[in-house]
Amino acid sequence: MAESVPVPVEAGREARRRTRANRAAARREDETDQLGRRAVELARFYAGKIETVPKVPVRSLHDFSLWYTPGIAAVSRTIEADAEESFNLTGRWNTIAIVTDGSRVLGLGDIGPEAALPVMEGKALLFKWLGGVDAVPIPIRVSSPDAIIETVERLAPAFGGINLEDIASPKCFGILEQLQHRLPIPVWHDDQLGTAAATIAGLINALTLTNRAVRETRTVLLGAGAANIATARLLLALGHDPHKLSLVDQKGVLHAERTDVDELMLRNPWKYRLALKTNGGGRTGDLAAALEGADVLLAASTPDPNTIRPEHVARMAKGPIVFALANPVPEIWPDVARDAGAAVVATGRSDFPNQVNNSLIFPAVFRGVLDARARSIPDEIVLAAARELARHAEDRGLSTTHLLPTMEETEVFPYVAAAVADATVAKGIARLRLTHDEYLEGARTRMGRSARLVRALVRSHLTAPMPRPHSPTRRRSP
Amino acid sequence: MTAAGEPTPPTTPGPTDSTSIPIHLRPARAADVSALVPLLLRLKRLNEEFDPLLRVRDDAESQAREILKATINDPKAVLLAAEGVGPDKDKVVGFVNAVLRERAFYAPPVEGVIVDIYLLPLYRRHGVGEYILKEVSAALKAKGAGVVIAEFPAQNEIAVRFYAKRGFRPITARHARLL
Repeated sequence: MAESVPVPVEAGREARRRTRANRAAARREDETDQLGRRAVELARFYAGKIETVPKVPVRSLHDFSLWYTPGIAAVSRTIEADAEESFNLTGRWNTIAIVTDGSRVLGLGDIGPEAALPVMEGKALLFKWLGGVDAVPIPIRVSSPDAIIETVERLAPAFGGINLEDIASPKCFGILEQLQHRLPIPVWHDDQLGTAAATIAGLINALTLTNRAVRETRTVLLGAGAANIATARLLLALGHDPHKLSLVDQKGVLHAERTDVDELMLRNPWKYRLALKTNGGGRTGDLAAALEGADVLLAASTPDPNTIRPEHVARMAKGPIVFALANPVPEIWPDVARDAGAAVVATGRSDFPNQVNNSLIFPAVFRGVLDARARSIPDEIVLAAARELARHAEDRGLSTTHLLPTMEETEVFPYVAAAVADATVAKGIARLRLTHDEYLEGARTRMGRSARLVRALVRSHLTAPMPRPHSPTRRRSP
Repeated sequence: MTAAGEPTPPTTPGPTDSTSIPIHLRPARAADVSALVPLLLRLKRLNEEFDPLLRVRDDAESQAREILKATINDPKAVLLAAEGVGPDKDKVVGFVNAVLRERAFYAPPVEGVIVDIYLLPLYRRHGVGEYILKEVSAALKAKGAGVVIAEFPAQNEIAVRFYAKRGFRPITARHARLL
């Protein structure tokens, strides 16, 4: 769209916009610093974000002859006779492990297992609050992928599912693949699947909104890390033509003749396979070359608003779709992308329309697989979650500023959970087969219970109220 | 060493998917040298990934050119060029290089040693490695070899698996340290 290419007379406007953007960035850094100080203060005050709470009445110590020995031996014998009963007679069905080696935590890099613990606690809180899932943070001190796989395999008997978290790419791919293959419970890596599924959900609606069919769509993925490698796989599962898909990394378009492809075969066979499979027509060169005539740009790369230039967007097909998902700063500011011709823009942030956020996916996916006591979580299930999420946004009316439900629309999540559970039944991997309405009702109850629980604990002063900022008190919570 | 093996079997067909072998092998000619040099260098750079003692020298390109020229005329060597098929006919997309060595003390008395196999990534899979191995073994046998040996970096597990699947086993080992 030549008419959208910025011309020199607009240079002043561009400079002003950049100054504005810089000021906004400085303000956001200030805010982040303040939030950080407050988070440390609260972490010190509460000393942890989750605890175990009994879920049975205890009238006196006598009850322990049922909850514990001697009565409990009969429960153990029942499970010994049939290990599947562990999903019915214990909390296993609703308990997952959040496992990390701390090798790629947030934007902090390899900070080690202890430093990863507060992040995993936060994730566990999200799992409980949004999904009603009992999640146990388990940062482990291991380095090799084999050691992670072995450790998780040994932990599995206690859990109904495993959530891998903040494990570096590319080792995360092999670890997920191996564990999904070996364990009789769902294994999920949120940095791959959560982000990819949320992206696919947004994309489904963006395609509908711009009258595109996925088969005919030409898509460029910018960044070839955990999220986009998984997004590429899900796109192909959705019916995207591999020839019309191109990945772009720091070295340009990923293609089979690139000189680093042999190294990829050894170090990152997942990316290697995509190098062989994608990019029909043999495009080479940089992002600009890849984007020529492309309908969709899905960026999960560098948090720098100049990563994608307006000229890049202008090279795309008419009315293109641009997802700039880097956090905390998108690869291009949404207004810049729209000015350059983008019809639909999404980011990872809540302060712009169309937030693509893995929290839209993972609590509901786990609610669904746990309620069905599922044995695994194949890509069809992930796509079922994405489709259901997309459908709810569509039901409320799609627009360029309404592609996905927001995080506040929590009433949507039980539907996503039920769709996931239904998909496990259809796939024959559900241990507990219920009707759609039963799954929906169960999910609603369990997802709603956590908020009530947290409120009840605060109301009864069992959870200390939030202290005022900069409070001098060092008092520990009860 | 080989780059024809794969870390894991393909799950979905690639763009060159076809039930037939997408290459054909023929003896290399002097005119192929320019096309073979970058392929040989790609292989040596891949080997570099396995051990610092396999660091590629700055003059590797001229070395490659000289060695390939000499090999083409050497009666005690087998150098086969892999050509594409269909639209890629006449394009050299890989090669295999093997040499005959006398075995002074052991029987059989002549061994054929595969020293280099390289195939551009797009032409791998589809049983191509198998086909190359069969062809080069036949050529070595025709020149008198009674045993076929594959040489590759010890850490190349893809090659280890590829050859192990086809009945190869380790017979001698080469261990190194820097002086």
